Amino acid sequence: MASLPSTTFTPATFSSAKSPSLAPRTVASLAANKFSAYPSPSSLSPRALTVVGNPVPGLRSRTSGTFRCFASVLTPQLKSTLDTVVNSHKVVLFMKGTKDFPQCGFSNTVVQILRSFNVPFETIDILENELLRQGLKEYSSWPTFPQLYIEGEFFGGCDITVEAYKSGELQELLEKAMCT
Amino acid sequence: MGVTKEQVESSLTSNLKPLHLEVTDISGGCGASFSVEIVSEQFEGKRLLERHRLVNAALQEEMKQIHALSIKIAMTPEQWKQQQESAETKSEA
Repeated sequence: MASLPSTTFTPATFSSAKSPSLAPRTVASLAANKFSAYPSPSSLSPRALTVVGNPVPGLRSRTSGTFRCFASVLTPQLKSTLDTVVNSHKVVLFMKGTKDFPQCGFSNTVVQILRSFNVPFETIDILENELLRQGLKEYSSWPTFPQLYIEGEFFGGCDITVEAYKSGELQELLEKAMCT
Repeated sequence: MGVTKEQVESSLTSNLKPLHLEVTDISGGCGASFSVEIVSEQFEGKRLLERHRLVNAALQEEMKQIHALSIKIAMTPEQWKQQQESAETKSEA
């Protein structure tokens, strides 16, 4: 299992959204909840935000258009944060609900598949943060959830994960990921 | 207002020139959920993820209103032919 990078999230990370309705409500708490190894919010300073430099492979082909009718929410800061999050664990699943209480059938399907392989994986509940949810759609160039990341790279949604599970491709990829 | 099956079909047809296309409205009427089977030469040499991205991109406008798009089949004509042949031998009922 990869160790956590020494990166922390600050409330400021998500605060540059134009829309005031998208309050940066829970990022600090989200980070604190989901990544308990991170320092508590009180110890965070703006300078604590460091960025993982390497771009996520596969994102370069991303079209500039967004899937939603309002302006882009994927700020450079949010992108950096997501770069860090997807690289923080070998397997990261952005889903509706939690591992133990999935709030959507498609998310549940992917959780069950990952469980069947007995590999460690981190889940992030996108229902807790609207800005994260919208930003991820742009970041992954993928309009729906769940979204599975393996070794920092977007793998796919539910349909693709199911197909790769059936074909054995997913197992192969996960085994490779666990060895590195 | 939802998206109609016809809108989804026409966007996919004009963008991906499918050899086979089957769009099913699985929303129960509100037009927010579809499943798609699509066979196109443009999928040649592309991984499943890239194929799905092509479909998503073709439906960029429609996706604003669609909540769930399930891409059941995204095959090349060659793969489709093979599947049809194996399916024919199985199901003749």
